Amino acid sequence: MLRLPLLLAALVTLSACGSSDEAPDVTPADASTAGTAADTSGAPVPGAAAPAFTLTATDGREVSLADYRGRTVVLEWLNYDCPFVGKHYGGGAMQALQAEAAADSVVWLAIVSSAPGEQGHFPPAEMDARTAEEGGRQLATLLDADGAVGRRYGALTTPHMFVIDADGQVVYNGAIDDQPSADAATLEGARNYVREALAAVAAGRAPETTRTQPYGCNVKYADA
Amino acid sequence: MRLVVLAALLTAALVGAEGASAQAPDRSPHSEAALVTDAASVRPGGAVDVALRLRLDDGWHAYWLNPGDSGLPVRVAWTLPDGVTAGPLRFPPPSRYALAGLTSYAHEGEAYFLTRVAVPATAAGAVTLTGEATWLVCADVCLPAEADVSITIPVGDGTGRTADADAVDAARAALPRPAEGWTAAAAATAGGYTLTLAPPDGVSLDGAMFFPSEAALLDHATEQTFRREGSAWAVELASSAFADTVATRLHGVLVPADGPAVEIDAEVAGAPAAPAGDAPARSAAWMLLLALGGGLLLNLMPCVFPVLSLKVLSFAQGHDPVQLRRTGLAFGAGVVMSFVALAGVLVALRAGGASLGWGFQLQSPPVVAGLAALMTVLALSLFGVVEIGTGLASASARLDTRSGVAGAFGSGVLAVAVASPCTAPLMGAALGWALAQPAGLALLAFAVLGVGMALPVVALSFAPGLSARLPRPGAWMETLKQALAFPLLLTAVWLVWVFGRQTGVDGAATLLASLVLVGLAAWVVGRWPAARVGARARWTTRAVALSLVAIAVALVGRVPAAAAETGAADGWEPFDPARVEALVADGRPVFVDYTAAWCLTCQVNKRTTLRTADVEAAFVRAGVVRVEADWTDRDPVIERSLASFGRSGVPLYVLYPGGGREPVLLPEVLTPDVVLEALDGVGTEVASSE
Repeated sequence: MLRLPLLLAALVTLSACGSSDEAPDVTPADASTAGTAADTSGAPVPGAAAPAFTLTATDGREVSLADYRGRTVVLEWLNYDCPFVGKHYGGGAMQALQAEAAADSVVWLAIVSSAPGEQGHFPPAEMDARTAEEGGRQLATLLDADGAVGRRYGALTTPHMFVIDADGQVVYNGAIDDQPSADAATLEGARNYVREALAAVAAGRAPETTRTQPYGCNVKYADA
Repeated sequence: MRLVVLAALLTAALVGAEGASAQAPDRSPHSEAALVTDAASVRPGGAVDVALRLRLDDGWHAYWLNPGDSGLPVRVAWTLPDGVTAGPLRFPPPSRYALAGLTSYAHEGEAYFLTRVAVPATAAGAVTLTGEATWLVCADVCLPAEADVSITIPVGDGTGRTADADAVDAARAALPRPAEGWTAAAAATAGGYTLTLAPPDGVSLDGAMFFPSEAALLDHATEQTFRREGSAWAVELASSAFADTVATRLHGVLVPADGPAVEIDAEVAGAPAAPAGDAPARSAAWMLLLALGGGLLLNLMPCVFPVLSLKVLSFAQGHDPVQLRRTGLAFGAGVVMSFVALAGVLVALRAGGASLGWGFQLQSPPVVAGLAALMTVLALSLFGVVEIGTGLASASARLDTRSGVAGAFGSGVLAVAVASPCTAPLMGAALGWALAQPAGLALLAFAVLGVGMALPVVALSFAPGLSARLPRPGAWMETLKQALAFPLLLTAVWLVWVFGRQTGVDGAATLLASLVLVGLAAWVVGRWPAARVGARARWTTRAVALSLVAIAVALVGRVPAAAAETGAADGWEPFDPARVEALVADGRPVFVDYTAAWCLTCQVNKRTTLRTADVEAAFVRAGVVRVEADWTDRDPVIERSLASFGRSGVPLYVLYPGGGREPVLLPEVLTPDVVLEALDGVGTEVASSE
């Protein structure tokens, strides 16, 4: 009974009010972001599918993210000579987290996006030597010398961490912990977001914190 | 290190006659730090500026308070004598560095970081400040640096300048200034924010850069292009990928291409999430024009048209043109002032923290009931059951008396009151936009809406020879009056329905009973009009009428407001932000319909589009979870959710396409095609190349 007059009244009004609603049919969410070289707008936000990649590991193997579908994957952007990375490796904190992850069958991939000639870039054999020296427990160290994978993930700093669940979705993107500092003293009592995210994924929950501003040295990308 | 400091202090003490003196700067990689001041002495109870001076080797930089994509801000941890306090570190305006696509906000060369240090009234001799300065110094590589810094300032008469005074003066002058004479406003958009700045005359923001003071707020790599919008400048800012929520404020420093840096603190108001390119179309002038048109249109609403047409007919009764104009203007003033007052109340409530949008009037069941009663009584008065006062809506309003002017003003107020249930459903979204503007502009928008609404009547009152052209008054007027009562009753029916949605079917029945009582009261008053009965009868009728109204009010007042129906029909889930978030995090496509019973546009969209078989089937095919956020009653959760999209009113249609893609906002006026097209491609995996 109400429908007809409501419709009539609405039609009359909407013909005018409608023009005030400039909203287009579909609003591209990222229309306003410019496409700069390390544009993070295309970076996977938590909940998004992790971009696929294939990189060569230090041992010469081709490693694809897709190889580990069905398992939880941690991506760690790595530069051994960055003091922020040093904070986490110096006292064994990162290695301990890597060991915990390995014990839970989590795949830990360290990715080096430093360009040749830049800090943190080493030929494969040297890289392995550094990893042995640091006692790194990552499953593989992947070389991304042209920075393509780093840029696709929007990796900004070393360290910059991603946790990807068994379905290939990013569940955490950001800093390793809540202490943006290169001072090892800040490790104590720090809230490690990666450890939290891994625990949440293991428990079948979404992590409480899904994204944070990463901190550290800028990734030493090749000039775009 | 300690020894060096001690030695420096001793030296300082020895050369104390020279006034304040700094220790020898402590070496750090590619940079050195020292404390300096401009004041040769500090008064007891006084304060001085102390600066951490960083000298950086060529090609090296240290970071601003928000370092950008990487880096750490300069910090000082102070060790201060009892009673001495140091304020926060004040950073000079930064420069932007883009290195292989990563963006940093940093300082080069020589940079001064000032702190205001206050000394207690009991201070004597000299005050020594020590601190541990830490910073990150980067070129293509980054090195942490630190220094123990110290300065001793003699306590004295507070006069005299040090050798560093000129440099400290210059540093102070270069600090970002408070934005005096500026207005700053921000609005959330689909991908970030629009920041609109109105600088004082003559300041150009061409080539300016806004540096946000928080890292996880804006995407630093996105280029900022300020564009002129009238006397203001606007820039689109992209959200940071690490921002969890829409910020409530944009705080930071604006550095014009030339001219001093300014501190900006803009509140993020809700605004329609239009893409960047559409923003100019939403300039204030355009919105005001739309408000004017909207106001004009209100005259055709079923709730307003009867009142206004009778107002115009009252002109027909042949009056002095001057008097007629005065009446028209009084009516117009009543309309405009009512709108401004209503908007003022809303703006004030919002400023006070209440989360209300336009349409808030209809979220309160008592107000809905009151409006329904008003419509009923007006209708009865048009039927001739009762004559209301000096003719608010009465066709026989006397125009030739002073009370005629007051009455005209009153009918303006009444017109707004009867219009208000029509403005909310039809213009909720547009007025929501107006409310998102600074208070002055919001009030102006409402005033213009009022002007638009009053315009036809005022214009007619100015039309020469109007009364000659209008038909002679006669019996036909009575017929027309009675006919015009029906749209009012229809409005009342709709309000009863809204009330019913808020309180359930029992509530609606109670309201209907109350309306009958109010009608009875009106009949009593009309049957024995005061002018024609004796004093006793007059009092009796008034007492009876008042009792009836009181009973009606009591009845409606006892209706529990909480018994609202949840609007979730078959296949639609009630709104739960956590559930939506979880679904979205799972990559599931979700459609959220923000709606309200009193929102006419929403109801039309529901019936023409959202609940049609085709569209429902398309939702099911695409695996979209459909959620209905029913805002018929006030609901802070929905309010916040609306605000996160920059809205303060319904309708709002949000489609999360799934796979982690950003939500898409559909237009406020839906057609099946619009929805079907938006559903195209939903659920398909994000294209991800190797």
